[in-house]
Amino acid sequence: MLLLALAAILPGLFWEQGTGTAPSLEKAGIKRIYVPAALADAWRAAGFDAVPVDDATRSRYQSAQPPGVQWQVNTASATRTPWIDANGWQFIRKPRAAWWYELPAGAAALAAAEAFAYGVDAVLRIDPADLEPLGRMLTFLRSVDGPALPALTNITVVDDNSPELDEVLNMLARRNLLFRVASAPDPSSDLNLRPGPDAADPVLFAVKARQQLTDERRLVRIYGSDTVLVRLAGDGTRARVHLLNYAQRPVEGLRVRVRGIYKTGVLHVPETEGAALADYAASDGATEFTVPRLEVYAVIDLNR
Amino acid sequence: MLRRRFLQAIPVSALGLEPRYKIVTSFSPAAQPGMPGLFPGAVVSVHSEKSIDADTEKVDASVVAEMMARGMRALTGERDTRDAWRRFFGPADVVGIKVNCSGAPNIMSTPEVVAEICRNLIAVGVKPSQIYIYERFLDQMESVNYPRYVPAGVQIHTVEKPRGSIANYDPKTYVEVNFFGEEDTRSNMVRLITERFTKIINVPNMKDHGASGVTGCLKNIAYGSFSNVARSHSGAKTETLSFIGTLASVEPLRSRTVLHIMDGLRGVWHGGPFSPTRRFRFYPKRMMFGTDPVAIDRLLLDIIDNKRKAEGAISVWDRSMDRVKPGSRPDADPNINRFVREPGHIGYAAGLGLGTYDLKKIRVENIEI
Repeated sequence: MLLLALAAILPGLFWEQGTGTAPSLEKAGIKRIYVPAALADAWRAAGFDAVPVDDATRSRYQSAQPPGVQWQVNTASATRTPWIDANGWQFIRKPRAAWWYELPAGAAALAAAEAFAYGVDAVLRIDPADLEPLGRMLTFLRSVDGPALPALTNITVVDDNSPELDEVLNMLARRNLLFRVASAPDPSSDLNLRPGPDAADPVLFAVKARQQLTDERRLVRIYGSDTVLVRLAGDGTRARVHLLNYAQRPVEGLRVRVRGIYKTGVLHVPETEGAALADYAASDGATEFTVPRLEVYAVIDLNR
Repeated sequence: MLRRRFLQAIPVSALGLEPRYKIVTSFSPAAQPGMPGLFPGAVVSVHSEKSIDADTEKVDASVVAEMMARGMRALTGERDTRDAWRRFFGPADVVGIKVNCSGAPNIMSTPEVVAEICRNLIAVGVKPSQIYIYERFLDQMESVNYPRYVPAGVQIHTVEKPRGSIANYDPKTYVEVNFFGEEDTRSNMVRLITERFTKIINVPNMKDHGASGVTGCLKNIAYGSFSNVARSHSGAKTETLSFIGTLASVEPLRSRTVLHIMDGLRGVWHGGPFSPTRRFRFYPKRMMFGTDPVAIDRLLLDIIDNKRKAEGAISVWDRSMDRVKPGSRPDADPNINRFVREPGHIGYAAGLGLGTYDLKKIRVENIEI
């Protein structure tokens, strides 16, 4: 399993409104903001940690797409799988990049959670109506922030710089096949993939990758939702499972299987006191548990 | 290639793989499993012309009560109706009644039938609070309004609230299989079955089914007691041939399902399991009683197929691909199939030991009221 260092970075809010909106930010618990350069001094004077953003600064960010789900009720699909707009795959491909989200209403909390889960430097330009949900999510992210754990993966995808690679990575991420991108195969990986001509059909490529790896060797499995993507991090003694629900509706009774035996697990979900994992079991080389209710984001800390 | 096209799944079967089932359960079979149960190979078929008015679809509850009493006495050989029910149930039991509401509100386990079952259970000492009428989907269940018919205190339980939630399924009792490359490869058993019920009564209808050929005892108890089963159909192909029997054989479902009462007051000869129009409904005015789901379903096969033949429709056994149009409306042309049907699922289940398929070995007692 290959490890990628995760940086514990909280996503930032890009806020274009004047200091008259300071009470709203304070109510949302947000004290650090990115602002147009012309407003930086005023916001600092108002007591905020204001980071100026000018055109040159902005150009250093890469675009992240608004996360979410596009339901396809009129599209024939054997597995009735909705389309997920997610950024994890490109965060993995470009771990040192900084990312900029332009978000429609309702997407801010998920975007913040997504960026946090992957440990990337991200700025969110949100619909002002999302200020409170974003504030609540950032409060939660601060509560679970801690030393970065390296990503856990068992698939290495060799980057051939082909145009098809992006969609291959997207399809692997969509299926919760946990990978890293490298310039050469890694003998320690359970599976090494070279996109090549097969990448012309990324879905089939991902299907074959899953078959080659086998479900038994997958690091994580999700049961009970086709809109939840997973980020897994850990070291020899513990693991952290990030669950991101891209749908606009909660998932109840989500079942998670993590490869490896972990004796204990602790569930963290925003705004829910006393939430706990259910039906916890660790046997036959895997740990399973149920998340009773997943709204947008959950973190599960597992310990051996 | 457009990204949307990527989502069209590639059937695992097309890649050369056949279903491989992994059954996970901690339950052992009972000494006498409920299926095929106390009376293997036996079916009591009770007909009454007065049971339902085919024009108004009004059900005569008193006739239903008589049909049930006669059917249960004949099945068990008991002279007293309560003694007949006591062969299966006692005061300590917690009884699940698996209704079928997939065609509701036009065809479903008839409320008068379900209410009469409840009354008979209560008569042998089962408390109303220990009787659960269950079905998977809330909208279907609510469209029937069972509480209006059944005795006070009987529990109504919908498993998926909202649809797709697996919170009310047992995470430790499931069948794992990958049919078409779907991501979620588990079908979990309803949690009440593993944690609460001691006995189950299965109350299917007499219906044609676009995927499995017909839907009777086996399909109702199998697909109605597990999550994530629609994944067994894709394009023209359905894996119902083996999946239905496999699910029905999982413990404790197999051991706890002790009685089948097939409600054939109404029937559907095409377009099932749904029934949006009356065009394909018919009125067998019949109920079948037994403990052997295979034997009852074997009779159902002929009832549906004979009706189809009488209506000039192709047989449920027809597998010609020129008759198959995936995605077509279920209630359209009765000579068009949505899938290659798999009525062989009943024979497959017999091979799993769930009952008797050979007509020569099935003992049918016909009763006319």
